[in-house]
Amino acid sequence: MRCVSWACGIAGVLLGAAAPAQAHALQQEPAVSDSTYGCTICHADKRRAFSQGVHAERDIRCERCHGGDPSAIEVAPAHEGRFLGTPTKLETVRLCSECHADPDQMRQFGLSADQLAEFRTSRHGQLLLEARNDDAPTCTDCHDAHLIRRTADARSEAHPTNIPSTCATCHEDAALMERYGIPTDQLERYRAGAHGIAVFEERNFAAPTCIGCHGSHAALPPRTREVTDVCGHCHQTLAHDFYAGPHGAAARRQALPGCLACHSNHGTERIAFDAIADLCASCHGEESAMSTLGRALQEEILRAEEELHLAAEAIEEMAASGRPVEDERFRYVAALTAFQQFAATQHSLDIEHAEELGRQVRSNTGVIRATAEAHAEERWEHRLLLIPIWFLALSAVAFAAFKLRELRLG
Amino acid sequence: MIRRLLSATRQSARGVWDDIKASTDASLLGVMRFVGLLYGPIDRRLQIDQAFRKALQYRLPSYVGWRHAPGGVTYLLFMVLVVTGVLLAVFYRPSVEEAYPSIQHIVSERPFGWLIRDVHHWAANLIVIALLAHMARVFFEAAYKPPRETNWLLGILLLGVVLAFGSTGYLLPWDQWSYWIVTEVMNAVGHWPVVGTTLADRLMGDVIVSGATLSRFFALHVIVLPWVAFVLLGYHFTLVRRRGIAPPMTQPEERPRWRKSGLFSPEDESNDGIPFFPNHLLRSFIVGTLTLTVTVTLAILWPRTVAPPADPYSLPDRLVSTWVPVDVSLALIRLVGPWGLGAFFVLGVSLILIPLVDRGPERQLRKRPVVAAVGLSFFLGYVVLFAAGRIIGSVPPSADLRQPEAAELTVPTRPGVPLPEPGLPEIPDDGSGGGAR
Repeated sequence: MRCVSWACGIAGVLLGAAAPAQAHALQQEPAVSDSTYGCTICHADKRRAFSQGVHAERDIRCERCHGGDPSAIEVAPAHEGRFLGTPTKLETVRLCSECHADPDQMRQFGLSADQLAEFRTSRHGQLLLEARNDDAPTCTDCHDAHLIRRTADARSEAHPTNIPSTCATCHEDAALMERYGIPTDQLERYRAGAHGIAVFEERNFAAPTCIGCHGSHAALPPRTREVTDVCGHCHQTLAHDFYAGPHGAAARRQALPGCLACHSNHGTERIAFDAIADLCASCHGEESAMSTLGRALQEEILRAEEELHLAAEAIEEMAASGRPVEDERFRYVAALTAFQQFAATQHSLDIEHAEELGRQVRSNTGVIRATAEAHAEERWEHRLLLIPIWFLALSAVAFAAFKLRELRLG
Repeated sequence: MIRRLLSATRQSARGVWDDIKASTDASLLGVMRFVGLLYGPIDRRLQIDQAFRKALQYRLPSYVGWRHAPGGVTYLLFMVLVVTGVLLAVFYRPSVEEAYPSIQHIVSERPFGWLIRDVHHWAANLIVIALLAHMARVFFEAAYKPPRETNWLLGILLLGVVLAFGSTGYLLPWDQWSYWIVTEVMNAVGHWPVVGTTLADRLMGDVIVSGATLSRFFALHVIVLPWVAFVLLGYHFTLVRRRGIAPPMTQPEERPRWRKSGLFSPEDESNDGIPFFPNHLLRSFIVGTLTLTVTVTLAILWPRTVAPPADPYSLPDRLVSTWVPVDVSLALIRLVGPWGLGAFFVLGVSLILIPLVDRGPERQLRKRPVVAAVGLSFFLGYVVLFAAGRIIGSVPPSADLRQPEAAELTVPTRPGVPLPEPGLPEIPDDGSGGGAR
């Protein structure tokens, strides 16, 4: 037994001394590589993970959570006293909260201390803390127990690009979710939606991941009357326009599930321009005045879109012929700015505003197209030069050929 | 009174003219001969006007005919390129910031600037075709055999000069097509064994095609190459005069009538053949007029597109080659690999050696099969590669340039908010793009 312990000790010392150079380079050498530190003799794997995490930087050691005696180099004395091996889910919440629910300790790091309070309000917290249901996640189900990194670190489970898969560890588990009647296609739909594309493809971390709408520690689905405000947290102007229109009033009365009346939650589909009227008709019926309004709005937008496409083509044509097109590009951007404001009218359903925007788009694109037409005409006129050129050339050639023939005969 | 005054004026003008004639050495006409404008030898004992008239009456061998036109067409196109090139140089500015706007200025704001530019562009294409036609005629008629092997060497050097002219000129518009095609070709040159890296580095002057490359190419295009071309052309023409024009394959070689010194003597005159003026000049006039008309017509009907300005951070979706050898190079690079371009280059250079190998008196094509095979593989290869290049020509830059490490360098172009500058902004899929993103 003693031999084995010694062998472990030597291995521990060697491992401690030859601690991975990579980790050293990245971070300050944490105290746990201290060779007199007993825990790492056996738990070398934990040491390695822990030393790369943020806690090791703060000189927090194993005993802070697990208790025991780190100065001991044998198993029995090391695990004595107030020792906690693998904490249960509840114990984990208690352990983390010892520090993380203490504002006095968190202040120095600029961290909030409200995680526990938030967790209590969440569905996860209710299940775990009140119903003692072990299906619910504890801190270490989302944050690794030992390898805890900053959220800005792309390797962290709480980094924006990793949050959806962190949540999906449980929420894609069909068997688990079936018990609570929760669907499992959220991640798939989120990835394909506008928000998922922004986060994963455009690396736009201003776009929300799961926690952007549901909260992190206080995770709960928004209630019907909350939906517009949750979306409006980012889409402020659209929410404003929405509340200004008839749908907004209905949403306040809870007669309409806010944004979800037209868009879906995880997929966050955009409504194609040519689908606006159909969408209106799907609730209001084909013949209603509201459907007529929808059709008018759709037509105004489609017409402006077509105008923009034609103007873009005209600009490209002019640019390809070498004409400077700064002015036209400026006008195009002005038209595009007006066009993008159609989004407001789509939410406020203000048809007069839409018509005004349509006029703004067309006044700019009209000038672009007129310039392009004049330019194309001018270029076409270049071809007229070919008439005198060929006339002169052929006459000269004919004359020379005639002269040559004369010389040959003569 | 007035009549007297007029006659006095006329008399004194004639006196001035006679004095100028008497005091101008006839050997000045040698300059005209040197730049290929006069054919005959110059009789330096005569006054300049008489010597000129005599030179015009010089008789060329009777077998000189339409077949020999491509050589003259090449020279005419060269002069067109010089003239239009000088006009373009007045407004063109060789810097990264100004090159593209100056092209826009030339084609859209200067009167007939578009015509000058497109004639320059089309002449650069046609000169390659005319030059290869001229070269093929010389090759298959075995006109490179002694005593004309030096002229063959000069001709190959001139081919190199013309290709160098086009390659350096191709970058000057500084638009996406020229930028990325030069990048791709330079990339291929960098892959050549032994000399490749050094050559590409020296030519580019930077790790990518940049302002340094533009300056170098401009200097080569408008300063170095014109001097080299004029000197080589002068020797080329003079040697044509000294060694005579090769007879067709079926006719035996005549004894050279010219003295080795190149000076004229009365006994050198022969009375057979066709006089340079007016017969040959009329033929040249016809060919020249047609060449110019075709060039101008092509320039008017198919102007070269001004592609978007060069952007080292974004590969264009479409590359369009607008110069014949570029099609050939792209075909070689993409279908054969960087080595292909080098190998074809070596094949072209090896044509220089042909007069050293093939010195016999045989001039019939079927009696010199090896040479015929080499020549055919070069000329046919050129045509086939050109066709292949046209087909693949509009494909985006090669896979070589799209390797992941190259692509990663160009990633962070879209930080959150899509700004419309500098290209056309995209139209969003629907109206909901207007909110906070």
